[in-house]
Amino acid sequence: MTSARRAAAEAWAFRARVEQEAALRFDWLAGVVAGFDAGSPVPAMMRRAADDERRHTELCATLAASLGQSVALDGDPKFVSIAPRSLDERKAALYEVVAACCLTETESMATLTTLLAVETDPEVREVLHAISRDEVVHSRMGWAHLSRESVAAEVAFLGPLVPGMLAGTIDEGLFGPPPTDEDPEGLLRLGVLPLQKKREVFLGTLEQVVFPGLERFGVDPEPGRRWLAQAAAQR
Amino acid sequence: MQFKKLFQVLVLGGAVLGAAAGCTQANAADKDKKPPADAGTTDSSGGGVKGW
Repeated sequence: MTSARRAAAEAWAFRARVEQEAALRFDWLAGVVAGFDAGSPVPAMMRRAADDERRHTELCATLAASLGQSVALDGDPKFVSIAPRSLDERKAALYEVVAACCLTETESMATLTTLLAVETDPEVREVLHAISRDEVVHSRMGWAHLSRESVAAEVAFLGPLVPGMLAGTIDEGLFGPPPTDEDPEGLLRLGVLPLQKKREVFLGTLEQVVFPGLERFGVDPEPGRRWLAQAAAQR
Repeated sequence: MQFKKLFQVLVLGGAVLGAAAGCTQANAADKDKKPPADAGTTDSSGGGVKGW
C-alpha cells in the first residue's frame, strides 16, 4: 500500500468517527435549543443534520474500507459534552454549537471547498460532493444560533473559552513538520489535505471567517488569536 | 480559497437564517438549569470538536 493510500484510509476512518460523534451532538442540541427558543429554525436543522451525519459516517467508513482500512464504530455511542461544567444548560448549548458548528463545521467546509477545487479520484469526489452539500447547512445553523443568542442572551462569556475549543480541535501535528513519506499529490487525489495546505486552510479560515464571525456577534476573538499565536510559536 | 465568500455564505447566511424566524428571549429559568450530571468536561475551560 502506498503512503498516500495508507494515510488517506486513516483519515477517512477518523472522519467516520467524527461524523458519528457529530450526529449525537446534534441530536442532543436539537432538544435543548427547542426547550428555550421555540421560534428558532435551528432545532429542526439540527435534527436533519444528525441524520446527515449518520449518512456521512457510512460514506466515510465505506471509503476508508475501499482504501484498505475497516472502521470499528461504537455500536452504542453516547453523547459526551465538551462544555465546561460551570455553564448552565443554555450557555452549555451555545458553547457546543459554537465549537461544533461555527468552528469545526466552518473549518470542514473550507477543507471540502479546497478539496473540490483540485482533481480527486471519482469515488472520492462523489463523497466530497455529497458531504459538502450538507456541511454548508451545518455551519450556517451554528451562526444562526449564535446570532439569535447574541440578541436574546449573554454571549461574551465565550471569548475566554475559545482557546479551549481550539485546543480540542487542532491536531497535535498541525504546526509540526509533515511526515517524511508524505505524498501531497497522492493525498489530494484521495481527498486529504497535505499538512502544509491543511495548516494554511485552517489558519486562514480562523482568521478570515471564524474570528470575524465571532466578533460580529459579540464574542471577543482576541483570546483565541493569542492562543493560536502561542501554539504556532511553539512548533 | 475564497475566505470572503465563505464568510458571506456561512456567517452572514447563517445570521439571515437565524433572523428569519421568531425572536428568541431570555429565560430566567435557564440560569438554574444545568446540563445532565454526566455532561461537561472535567476541564473547566471546556474542550473542542475534532473535524476534518
